[in-house]
Amino acid sequence: MTLTSDNKATNTQELITATIDGIQMQVPKGTLIIRAAEKMGTFVPRFCDHPSLAPVAACRMCLVEIEGMPKPQPSCAIPLTEGMVVKTQMTSKVAEDAQAGVMEFLLINHPLDCPVCDKGGECPLQNQAMTAGRTESRFEIEKRTFPKPLELSTEILLDRERCVECARCTRFSEEIAGDPFIELLERGAKQQVGIATDEPFNSYFSGNTVQICPVGALTSSAYRFRSRPFDLVSVKTTCEHCAAGCSLRTDYRRETVMRRLAWEDPEVNEDWNCDKGRFAFGYLKTNRLTQPKVRNLDGNQIDALWPDAVDIAAAGLANAQGKVAVLLGGRLTLEDAYAYSKFARVALGTNNIDFRNRDHSEEEQQFLGSAVAGNHNSVTYKELENAQNVILVSFEPEEESPIIFLRLRKAMQKGNLKVTAIAPYLSKGLEKLNAEVVATKPGEEGKVLSGIDIVENSIILIGERAAAIPGLLSVALEVSNKTQSKISWIPRRAGERGALEAGALPALLPGARPVADASARSEVAKVWGVSNSKIPSEPGLDHSQIIKAAINGELKALIIAGLDVLDAPDPKLFSEAINAVDFVITIGVQENSLTRYANVSLPVAPVTEKSGTFINWEGRPRPFGKAIGSTNALTDARVLSMIAESMDLDFGLQIIEDLRMELSELGIWNGSKLEKPQFESKEIVDFKNDNVILSTWHQLLDEGAMQVGEEHLAGTQKSSVAYLSEETAKQNNLTTGDLVTVLNTRGSITLPLEIIEMVNKVIWIPFNSKDSKVKQSLGAKEGDIMLIEKGKV
Amino acid sequence: MGLTPVLTAHWDEPKSFDIENYQKHAGYVALTNSLKMTPDEVIGVVKDSGLRGRGGAGFPTGLKWSFVPQNDGKPHYLVVNADESEPGACKDIPLMLANPHSLVEGVAIAAYAIRANHAFIYIRGEVPHAIRRVMNAVEQAYAQGLLGKNIKNSGFDLDVVVHTGAGAYICGEETALLDSLEGRRGQPRLKPPFPAVAGLYASPTVVNNAETLASVPSIILNGADWFKSMGTEKSPGFKLFAVSGHVKRPGIYEAALGTPMSELLDYAGGMKQGRDLKFWIPGGSSVPMLTPEHIDIPMTYEDLAAAGTMLGTGTPMMFDKTTSVVKAVSRWLEFYKHESCGKCTPCREGTYWITGVLEKFEHGVGKEHELELINDICGQIAGRSFCALGDAAATPFPGAMKYFASEFEEATRKPVDVSFPPERTKIFSTVGVM
Amino acid sequence: MAEIPQMMRAFGTTFLSMFRKVTTEQYPEQKDQFPPQARFHGRHQLNRHPDGLEKCVGCELCAWACPADAIYVEGASNDEERFSPGERYGRVYQINYLRCIGCGLCIEACPTRALTMTNEYELADNSRTKLIYEKDDLLAPLQPGMAQPPHSMIDDFVAQDYYDGKVKAASAEQFAEIEILKQKKAQD
Repeated sequence: MTLTSDNKATNTQELITATIDGIQMQVPKGTLIIRAAEKMGTFVPRFCDHPSLAPVAACRMCLVEIEGMPKPQPSCAIPLTEGMVVKTQMTSKVAEDAQAGVMEFLLINHPLDCPVCDKGGECPLQNQAMTAGRTESRFEIEKRTFPKPLELSTEILLDRERCVECARCTRFSEEIAGDPFIELLERGAKQQVGIATDEPFNSYFSGNTVQICPVGALTSSAYRFRSRPFDLVSVKTTCEHCAAGCSLRTDYRRETVMRRLAWEDPEVNEDWNCDKGRFAFGYLKTNRLTQPKVRNLDGNQIDALWPDAVDIAAAGLANAQGKVAVLLGGRLTLEDAYAYSKFARVALGTNNIDFRNRDHSEEEQQFLGSAVAGNHNSVTYKELENAQNVILVSFEPEEESPIIFLRLRKAMQKGNLKVTAIAPYLSKGLEKLNAEVVATKPGEEGKVLSGIDIVENSIILIGERAAAIPGLLSVALEVSNKTQSKISWIPRRAGERGALEAGALPALLPGARPVADASARSEVAKVWGVSNSKIPSEPGLDHSQIIKAAINGELKALIIAGLDVLDAPDPKLFSEAINAVDFVITIGVQENSLTRYANVSLPVAPVTEKSGTFINWEGRPRPFGKAIGSTNALTDARVLSMIAESMDLDFGLQIIEDLRMELSELGIWNGSKLEKPQFESKEIVDFKNDNVILSTWHQLLDEGAMQVGEEHLAGTQKSSVAYLSEETAKQNNLTTGDLVTVLNTRGSITLPLEIIEMVNKVIWIPFNSKDSKVKQSLGAKEGDIMLIEKGKV
Repeated sequence: MGLTPVLTAHWDEPKSFDIENYQKHAGYVALTNSLKMTPDEVIGVVKDSGLRGRGGAGFPTGLKWSFVPQNDGKPHYLVVNADESEPGACKDIPLMLANPHSLVEGVAIAAYAIRANHAFIYIRGEVPHAIRRVMNAVEQAYAQGLLGKNIKNSGFDLDVVVHTGAGAYICGEETALLDSLEGRRGQPRLKPPFPAVAGLYASPTVVNNAETLASVPSIILNGADWFKSMGTEKSPGFKLFAVSGHVKRPGIYEAALGTPMSELLDYAGGMKQGRDLKFWIPGGSSVPMLTPEHIDIPMTYEDLAAAGTMLGTGTPMMFDKTTSVVKAVSRWLEFYKHESCGKCTPCREGTYWITGVLEKFEHGVGKEHELELINDICGQIAGRSFCALGDAAATPFPGAMKYFASEFEEATRKPVDVSFPPERTKIFSTVGVM
Repeated sequence: MAEIPQMMRAFGTTFLSMFRKVTTEQYPEQKDQFPPQARFHGRHQLNRHPDGLEKCVGCELCAWACPADAIYVEGASNDEERFSPGERYGRVYQINYLRCIGCGLCIEACPTRALTMTNEYELADNSRTKLIYEKDDLLAPLQPGMAQPPHSMIDDFVAQDYYDGKVKAASAEQFAEIEILKQKKAQD
């Protein structure tokens, strides 16, 4: 029997021959006994062992007998060697007795909590006690007790009585997340996991410790006592929160999602996910739209039946006679975005469609169309793991794409990765990556990037914030060409890459086909079954042009789908635009400030109630199935099909299979792509003393629309503070602890100041935290010049 | 066989701990001699002498030194384990108090031999007086150019750091000591890699007991053959025997290995008040106990092993008839429970359980079947724990049951304080013999 | 005419039966005269601790054991209001008597002896919803000395003491607590 793992590298690895339980096998050199036994079909019981953590051999549960060794040995820590003869509990009395002994020890102080414990029913200790435990206890003295539960953070609860001290949680936090907020305290029988006073376990990855805890010691406040494992139905899904594309296990009971866990996927998220993906699903039940609404003649929104609402929508769109535009958010699935892309062209006859409900530019469209869309040779997680040099531009991994952060950290710990960040300061996240920061003012990233030495075959990761900096994307492409370095664009939202591939942009058709390219148009028209002339040959208006056109009265109707006005590049202008347009259709999951402006508001299904695909930042499709079926919520594509039908069009995208078939029919485009962007950088003009440049980005946990209804999670948010360098603070007579007010003509934000080592003349504030809502309060973007002054209490 | 004062030769002199006094008796000559030899020659001499580790395990010192890989480009470290905390062991601390320079010189020679430029002396935190003496000795050695840069113009550099622990017994385990030294929680590390390959700061490291290193200068000075002329073939040389317990003159007696306990007991003036010896422990609480019938066994690694026990730290504890074996075992187990680091299950939970049950016996309410239970628990700890602490904790009870089972049985009916009134067993007790 | 003797025999049997003791039970008029066997599997009951706290911890093991899927339970935390000793109680407890087959596996599964079966057998009704018994229908009535939850555990007692049978009746503090709660509610 030969065991090899899935990756090809093992082919070249040296194989050794060893025997476990009398079965001779060949395994790659270095394979741990416990893994080899498992592949062979023998499960050696274990607690502290975890395939993604370094071995510690602390729990002693996996003791096996090795010929030639006087004592039983921990199989989780010893690699098989040539000729080794191992006997597990299946064939060795010594191993069986050793395991039974350890199990007895683990149970003596373990409380009889199983009926009330969240882990009961899926608990490794429970299961292994059935195989290695005694039926009756010999322990007659008093059990060790602790007050319970202990709140490690608002989200994570610790029951010290149940803990078996395997240290998986503390090792995870230190080795994987780099957040050693929890540590083992005391010693001997008093040993316990704990936190420092006033320093809760506010790690973005804390939820993983709950999942890997082999007992019910760590539980989450959100899931506490909500259900038992045998109530739950599990579905494999894809996380909708960011572009990482994590595989998730969604567990639901009676049509309600109870919890979500990381689903192991070695290519993408490995064994982990972030707390946002794990805990933020309360929005599914908050402010859900369930009924179509239409505006009646009195101007009031009233509930409507689906056929009526659809007919009204169709009539309104027909009325507009092509003076229509489609604005999308970045949260749609590939299939739904594709439906909008097709609908705009086929039903509305326009290229006015844009999924970028955030700071964007024409330069970005060209960048995406030329270097990102349809690129099947983009960077992968695996490549990041094996990379030597990674350069981060306008990208803060821990906050904006936490799984990339974990992978970079893994690579860094292997000792072969050097991370260089072009950023205003060394953030905590970058510190954990051991990154070198080239302190840069927002706006000067391009200049810096072309100025630094870049080793050939580096990887450049550029965040979506780069769109706000004129010239940066052009420079980045140039640099990547010059240095033979791969460049990868990291959007924040889960649907952005998919919407790009679906052609939800004014100059792009599905599959990176330029609108202006006649053969591209005819290819698409053929699949769509429409005449070539149906697809307008001129690129349409992008998001900001649509807003401008709407305000100027050049548009009669708007379709707004899956977006929140608060995310818009300028929420104020966005609202003006909506007021200026006669006919507005909103399509979305939740009620928000836009729905009340709608002439027709149509509810659609959230990710749990439909099948679909997200394309993650790698360009990897992440299809997922429907978890909850009974709500009968419709997909965006289905709703568009109904409208098209009402407009007497054969749209043909009723079900997910239709969409997937059409997408595969479109195939790969081998023709020309959009022109590479060649935009000039803007020089930062000299400015006054109390002026600073604004630097800001989204924190992972903030006031985002999809984090509503999750109090426990919200409790682990970082506090809102502003950062200034010492020199800049001094120039403005500010010191740490002062309040600082950032203001422009639009408004102001006041935050406590923290002085850190950072580039001068720059202020950093959170993008969308409780006390700092940059778009709402300032309407500003990264790189804008702001005024600062001492804030008043 | 007689005493063989080497380390203790000048303890009675005024200011025996001072460098001046040490140098009066050929102090640091061995270092000068060593620096004229090649490091491998130094290792050779120590190997030839057959010096074995004095910390308990008795591993040949020269062999340990030779395991350090050469020319590997990594820094090497020498770490001195002076975290003496074993119940009954009291030899390193007096040595450091009275003759710290022998240790410092030994450190310098050993560091030279293993090509280390950094040495750390890790001393137990509860003995500030010993710490002060050693720090002072290191300072004096620096002042005379015996440590530091280019020692005696040999081109050899050595920095010595005296580090104090925080008083955890587990930090006497060499890998836990290294973790503690690195500023981490003192818990033993997974082996392999062994310290000789990846020890302190993941570099090749030798960890030696303080007495072991203090013995090295005399070997260099007088030669391996001189050393081998003492002791037996497998256990050559002299050793500090710290005799304690119910003896007239508890103290440190330096004698050749192989000296029988009966002779050491004579040096210590015999049992107090002429009471009969009941049981004794050759080297710290971690080794099984012996009875008066074993009193003539030569104190060597091999002979004691043959008797089912170990030389350990070579610090015999003698107990007379007034002592309750049950209580003694219970106290030792309480020590192990208190000092268990908590890393591995058998040691953490097993010691908790045993002490809980033994407490019942102390109160005379133990059940007969519980003796079998404790024996089982000891069996479930021994050989299955992460480090030797667990094995040590599993030692006293089976050892005691071997000779004193009836006493445990008695404790199922009668509290031990009734059977053995505590006021009579006190070291300074004047209460008459039973 | 051969049938006559046979007929006479039959009439004889009938006639003789008129003097035998009647076996018909007069249900429901005389039902007390015919109690079910002591171990009869009747309607369930959710028991209480002697101070009135509920024994049910909402563990759902009864629901899991039920072969007819007749039981539905949701647990909740005792954080804000205490209904049972320990951390968890059964917030929702339903038994559907249209499904229940009276097998008693649920009471076997109960780890706290919260669920037992009474001898009550009159489980018929004319609506389906009425036959889904809620927690209120199933909870044992308060006995003298019990205080109506929610209320705290007895001072200085922990959950284990409840299971060890150390609780005998509700304490004065518990009754006082309920009074205060009542007054507060009245004020609101």
